[in-house]
Amino acid sequence: MATRKRATTSSARRAVVVGGARTPFVKAFKDYLHLDTIDLGAAAVKALLARHPLPREALDAVVWGGVILPGASPNVGREIVLDLNLPHSVEARTVTRACASGLQAIADAVASIERGEADVVIAGGSDSTSNAELKLPQKVVRTLGPVLMGGKAKPLDYLQVLAQLAPFHDILPRMPRIAERTTGEVMGEAAERMATRNGISREAQDAFAVRSHHRAAAAQAAGHFDDEVAPIEVSSGRMVYADGLIRAETSEAAMAKLRPVFSRDGTITAANASPLTDGAAAVLLMTEEKARDLGFTPLAAFRSFAWSGVDPADQLLMGPALAMPKALERAGLTLADADLVDMHEAFAAQVLSVLKMLESDAFARERLGRDKAVGAIDPERLNVNGGSLAIGHPFGATGARMVLTVANALARRDKNIGLLGICAAGGLGAAAVMERVG
Amino acid sequence: MSDLLVDLSTQAWFRQTVKRLGLPLPTPEKLRRPKGPVSARPLDDRRVAVALGTDAALADQLAPALARAGASPRVVADALPAAFVAAGEAYGRPATLVAPGAEPPEGSVHGLIFDATGLSTPASLTELHGFFQPWLARMGRCGRALVIGRPPASLNDPAAAASAAALEGFVRSLAKELGRKGATAHVVYVAKGAEDRLEPLLRFLLSDRAAFLTGQPWTLSAAVPRDPRHGDGVAPLAGLNVVLTGAARGIGEATAHLLAGEGAHVIGIDRPGDEGPLAEVMRAVGGTPLALDITDPDAPTTLSAFIAERFGTVHAVIHNAGITRDKTLARMKAEHWDQTVAVNLGAVVALNTALLATGGGLADGGAIVCLSSVAGLAGNVGQTNYAASKAGVAGYVRALAVQVAARGIAVNAVAPGFIETRMTAAIPAVTREVGRRLSALGQGGEPSDVGQLLTWLVQPESAGLTGQVVRACGGMFIGA
Repeated sequence: MATRKRATTSSARRAVVVGGARTPFVKAFKDYLHLDTIDLGAAAVKALLARHPLPREALDAVVWGGVILPGASPNVGREIVLDLNLPHSVEARTVTRACASGLQAIADAVASIERGEADVVIAGGSDSTSNAELKLPQKVVRTLGPVLMGGKAKPLDYLQVLAQLAPFHDILPRMPRIAERTTGEVMGEAAERMATRNGISREAQDAFAVRSHHRAAAAQAAGHFDDEVAPIEVSSGRMVYADGLIRAETSEAAMAKLRPVFSRDGTITAANASPLTDGAAAVLLMTEEKARDLGFTPLAAFRSFAWSGVDPADQLLMGPALAMPKALERAGLTLADADLVDMHEAFAAQVLSVLKMLESDAFARERLGRDKAVGAIDPERLNVNGGSLAIGHPFGATGARMVLTVANALARRDKNIGLLGICAAGGLGAAAVMERVG
Repeated sequence: MSDLLVDLSTQAWFRQTVKRLGLPLPTPEKLRRPKGPVSARPLDDRRVAVALGTDAALADQLAPALARAGASPRVVADALPAAFVAAGEAYGRPATLVAPGAEPPEGSVHGLIFDATGLSTPASLTELHGFFQPWLARMGRCGRALVIGRPPASLNDPAAAASAAALEGFVRSLAKELGRKGATAHVVYVAKGAEDRLEPLLRFLLSDRAAFLTGQPWTLSAAVPRDPRHGDGVAPLAGLNVVLTGAARGIGEATAHLLAGEGAHVIGIDRPGDEGPLAEVMRAVGGTPLALDITDPDAPTTLSAFIAERFGTVHAVIHNAGITRDKTLARMKAEHWDQTVAVNLGAVVALNTALLATGGGLADGGAIVCLSSVAGLAGNVGQTNYAASKAGVAGYVRALAVQVAARGIAVNAVAPGFIETRMTAAIPAVTREVGRRLSALGQGGEPSDVGQLLTWLVQPESAGLTGQVVRACGGMFIGA
């Protein structure tokens, strides 16, 4: 069963992470109201280039991840290149894999480098929930389109269009919701069901969320985020210097007061779910050889990536429980080899559910085809700098933020292997194994 | 075809009026029927109460089967069996423990399952009463009661055989009591060695696909060799060719749609003269039409040659074509007798003989399903010819099943009861109304109800069932 694809990243052209930068992550509809996803992405890439100066002609490509893409210019990566006045030769693409989009962008960049298509690539992602476009319902488009675009329309045609559009309540623009297209279920409801299905209590969720905040606050205070967070100027000329959602002083007692959001007797609250966030993160990747030539110190490389899919109507956010074991297997490693584990915290309930699955022999037998459980993740290795619950979760940026955090943490803590896991809409899962270089 | 009484009974005011005035009108429950093809978790988010009787043997099969189907189990036991703990962890469907004798917890349950495989004395049968009696009040509309035992004939101890046989009487009566709620009851006899055949049947019987089946004993054996199940159970007939006779209308038409919905390529046969409707149905399901008089002496070789040329082999054949030529025997002409027996039985035997011959067209590992009839099996005035042919079918499948089991071919018959088709629409109104209501569910079935059973029976996973006559009759009060 265990097919070891590759024992180590010994590829002739190994891609390495040499650094990165991200904007501070802030609550949606606040400081970044006037910065759309392209602006945020450009800010992160600009900060990255300021911290890791490249000869102007060295950069080959930008690979960008995003979830709420601007309808008129969905290739966000290319818009960033143009906005920053980078050489026109820097080609760009934009990828989307829901909340794993940032990691997908990095996986694509690594593949491009290792295939020899590029030597130096910036990969990352951004999202601005504050600038989500309100969508006209399809009914309006299909009714108005032929009249407006289809030649000469007489006043009578407009009247007929009006008649067709009635009743009018379903032609109002819709607020975007984080709902599954196939099931109509909002993600919080899915997390609520996962809590029930895996026996995750409100108390356990709140305790996990508190720990996420406390760890993020400690990392922030210790300056550990200084390697990644770059100040950004917002439209008013004001600067934002640091992540805005981390709450050092929060406690389980404070969280216990909140009311459940998605069901009356539920367990998911605003505090144990990741908040709607605006932000961007970018990572600089290149071949080892190029890093040497340009005088950069490589931080980390990727030993494997893995992806998974399950029925969104079942346990929507269980993806990492399938993808993480796959990534470890592909890297020829076991969970015990992972010095650091970074799991995206969409909901505390989702992380705790995944931890339970990884610890279960029965889960391993039925869902992974192995005899023994993948194992228990030591809390001391898991999300050492907190996670999305505290730091925030700009959908497309999170994967890149995690890669940057793990690359820096491996170096700072003198560790070797990092394991990443991300759940995503559509029942998707993503994982990667990183190893320290140098 | 709409049934006014069923439609009215969905209205609360109608039910209340009937009750208040004490009108002698049944208020049959509108049956819950499936909307699309088979899904990975047919029981998603439905609660199922499970009890394991003394020495019950099937917890290891029941627990994962229910969890994989998406059901949330409530287990009546002193301690949660390890199998339910493991299945809960693996599929996120944690079992709730309910102490025996305790009041069943709030909330309706869709299914009640009792594993009676270990009951071996008449006294032990009290466990049936102990489980079902308090839980029946919790059963939702269109629910399912299932009792699982060992085949009586497989037990050496006469007392154990008696206890196993008792299960059939129990569910047949329970079926009649549950019918008014649209709920059904079955007993599944699982032979030793056939335990891994239980899951597909469980998924089918507990689902909305078995809406019109009730009071039925099912025997699972390992007589037909088959690999254990794998995959998620979706599109079970993908890539398989299925021959279906009488495909132009009624049960045949409905079945063609269902077979195609599960991924099958349907080769639809009907008599010349019905080419029009046949072609229409086959166009709709992306199938292949073949106009053929199945009673023609050349029909078997024509079909075999057609299959060989166009498809190589087929996975299954469903002998759905049938006719009635009703007359009391005293008034019946020989041609009426001969026609009926020729179509309903003679052609079935002749076609199968050709299909089963070397290179005849039916692949090993396949399935044969014939149509019998509840009316035929029970006997009916004016139907000596029809009943003879349909009872003949029952005997035929039992014998043929034994003969072809080693080739991996399952052979079964389906006996429909009152189904709303062109045939039953022709019955005089009063007789028709009586026919509809004289069943546990108090209504006629739809062609698709029979089609669902036919579609399930030809699936490779269903091979645990062979040599049996399964009724699709809503629990008719007469016969069989």
